[in-house]
Amino acid sequence: MAAMKEIRVALTGNPNAGKSSLFNVLTGSHQRVGNFPGVTIEKHEGYIDYKDVRITVVDLPGTYSLTPYSPEEIVTRRYIIDEKPDVVVNVIDGTNLERNLLLTAQLMEMEVELLVALNMIDEVEDKGISIDTDQLEKLLGCHIVPTSARRKQGLDDLLDHIVSISDGHIEVRKNKMTFSPVIEAAAGKISELLGRERELESANHRWMAIKLLESDREVYSRVKQYPVWVKVELALQEAIMECQRLNSTDPEALITEDRYAFVRGAMQECVRQPRASRASVSDYIDMVVLNRVLGLPVFFVVVWAIFQLTFTLGAPLMEGLAFLFSLLARSLGPMLPNALLRSILVDGVIAGVGSVVVYLPNIVLLFIGLSFLEASGYMARAAFVIDKVMHRFGLHGKSFIPMVTGFGCSIPAIMATRTLKSRSDRLATIMTIPFMSCGAKLPVYVLLAGAFFPPAMAANVMFGIYFLGIVVGLWTAWMLKSTVLKSDSEPFVMELPPYRWPTFASVVFQARMKALMYLKKAGTLILLAVMAIWAASNFPHSRDLDARLEREKMRIEASADSPALKSAELLRVNSKAQADQLEYSVAGRIGKIIEPLIRPIGFDWRIGISLVTGVVSKEVVVSTLGTIFSIGRSDSAAGGLTSILRSDPGFSMATALSLMVFVLLYIPCIATLGVMKKEIGSWRPVLLYTGYVLAIAWSASFITYRIALLIR
Amino acid sequence: MKLSELKEGDRAEVTSVGAEAPVRRRLMDMGLIRGTELEVLRFAPLGDPIEIGYKGLLLTMRLKEAEGITVKKLPVLENQEPAGGTLSRILNFRRG
Ligand SMILES: Nc1nc2c(ncn2[C@@H]2O[C@H](COP(=O)(O)OP(=O)(O)OP(=O)(O)O)[C@@H](O)[C@H]2O)c(=O)[nH]1
Ligand SMILES: [Mg+2]
Repeated sequence: MAAMKEIRVALTGNPNAGKSSLFNVLTGSHQRVGNFPGVTIEKHEGYIDYKDVRITVVDLPGTYSLTPYSPEEIVTRRYIIDEKPDVVVNVIDGTNLERNLLLTAQLMEMEVELLVALNMIDEVEDKGISIDTDQLEKLLGCHIVPTSARRKQGLDDLLDHIVSISDGHIEVRKNKMTFSPVIEAAAGKISELLGRERELESANHRWMAIKLLESDREVYSRVKQYPVWVKVELALQEAIMECQRLNSTDPEALITEDRYAFVRGAMQECVRQPRASRASVSDYIDMVVLNRVLGLPVFFVVVWAIFQLTFTLGAPLMEGLAFLFSLLARSLGPMLPNALLRSILVDGVIAGVGSVVVYLPNIVLLFIGLSFLEASGYMARAAFVIDKVMHRFGLHGKSFIPMVTGFGCSIPAIMATRTLKSRSDRLATIMTIPFMSCGAKLPVYVLLAGAFFPPAMAANVMFGIYFLGIVVGLWTAWMLKSTVLKSDSEPFVMELPPYRWPTFASVVFQARMKALMYLKKAGTLILLAVMAIWAASNFPHSRDLDARLEREKMRIEASADSPALKSAELLRVNSKAQADQLEYSVAGRIGKIIEPLIRPIGFDWRIGISLVTGVVSKEVVVSTLGTIFSIGRSDSAAGGLTSILRSDPGFSMATALSLMVFVLLYIPCIATLGVMKKEIGSWRPVLLYTGYVLAIAWSASFITYRIALLIR
Repeated sequence: MKLSELKEGDRAEVTSVGAEAPVRRRLMDMGLIRGTELEVLRFAPLGDPIEIGYKGLLLTMRLKEAEGITVKKLPVLENQEPAGGTLSRILNFRRG
């Protein structure tokens, strides 16, 4: 086979224009999509083979302009300038042409091989907007392909154009934007100056000149290195004065106004909008959701409803799964003659992994709820409603979006803080995220709340736990922002997207993905942890204990008791021996060392061990409890972990509450710590933070435990 | 007058955008430039931020940012119904 031609294509455009959606349907990937600005924060690559060409498609973070504002937007501009993709596809939201074309105008100035994907063409048609693409192509000097990522329309047409442009079959005319005379004069002069600098010979002088007039920091510092800067600076100052005199504004504003004038001219020629006489459905929803009086209650009801859904709807499904597992354990147990093998499979794998897998329905429901928030368009609105509250705590309305993501998993949430511009706001937000109780902690709450509270109360207890997390998170942020991370608050400017219905297919797909991911985790990481715990709690094996057991057995056999009494007695010494063996094992010894530390908050050493293993991942707390508590319990297979815990003397409602609080607040899982280090840049703050959360967790659990004991 | 001084339902035209450098840039990138006609749609439940609508776009910003934008108030259109008519009147608890 002949070597395939390879080309690279970058997707750029305003936030929320549908780049990632388009990327997904083109390359068959599953990048995150959401109906709010700033979903993508890193570049992602994928590829498609089309007509003997391997097209590498790069999905970039959305950006409102090529003068970057927040960290993720810098990625986009750097990519276009430094990596020089073969074709730059500018994805524009057809329902919002005026703003979207402003970026197109800037891309035109960069003289790249530009192709416009007029996306959301389905919504354009529904709204009765008509766009004369032929005329618009003439004005922009590049080809325009109508697409709909949602309906998978125009994809082949888009790929055809990409291939033709890279072949040179279609030429991009690269129309020049013409600015006001003042700007043109200054730009001509400056680019001529830049042309004289040998080191800058290969650069696009006109573009650099325009960027200098726009006070672009990066270009500034680049040109400053060269002797020509002295003259350039003079020319810039002159331009600023001229601009003030003739247009009573500064070059930066004038350039933007000129671009808009161009865009508006193009719109007038090519676009017919029906006069919007009536309020749209979006407007009606906003009247309720953003209402002065109803706004906050609606917000709380929405969040509460998601947790209620997770618990109430999930409960029967979870019980069904738990029943299946106990059935499995009961039928498998007698079939295995070898005691060691039986212990591995029944106490280890089934009790451990099974105890985690049963929460699959809850997890999937939680993620469906969160993805509905993200896809509907409510997320940005919630940020608007809650910004003032966040501001009080030194945070930002935009901090709210990663925080909600954090209810699913801390890792993407911490990365999503890149949409925040100021470093101190970012750090403060990152530090709050581990307190936003993630999906992995959910099994712990469902287990404990379900075991020690009546069903009607359990969901409220859980809601209370989540609420406590939010309070501690906000308090932490406030403390940080009023001491070490003091800074001016970052400005809040955010666009509200129109409401969109999440497609049924995408919800089902999301749910399936999450389910598979959860099962995969249960089958790999958690299984591994379970095996380790099983081994640690069975070895080293004590010969003395075995011998003692044998002696006791013989004593019972030899006694004159009735057979019923004998077998009960046998069961008792057996359990006792297993419990003693557990204490003798590695796990037991480690547990005994930490026990004095956690006694005051109501935990025995077995809970201590689950907390230690929980640092791997929070579901492991449950699987470890499952393994350790079923050792030495003859009834282990009967009623599942719930009934085991209920009847265990080491557990009470106060312990359960204290444990929930501790799991909520204590050390984030290893993967999260790693991402924190990566995003912050060094280990020191992460380690300090770990110490802080431990202290907080211990104190909060202590208070909870003591109060719960008093009440009881 | 400043954008932050407008009331819910007011219409105005932008006369200059003068916030701090990076915010100003962002506002202009969002299409808020001299001559843009906008309508104040609402304030958030706690009174801040503000939401404005223009060119089919919904933009929210804190009052602090809105202070940097100077506007000229436009007369209320003769037959201007509050967007959303009856529903909006019912929900407008304050004005009764
Ligand atoms: N109706 C319709 N909706 C679309 C289309 N393409 C994308 N969307 C929706 O638009 C929203 C934004 O899509 P994304 O693909 O996340 O947008 P993006 O450009 O990657 O956004 P950022 O990553 O924030 O820059 C989502 O709710 C999509 O479902 C389309 O062709 N038609
Ligand atoms: Mg994206």
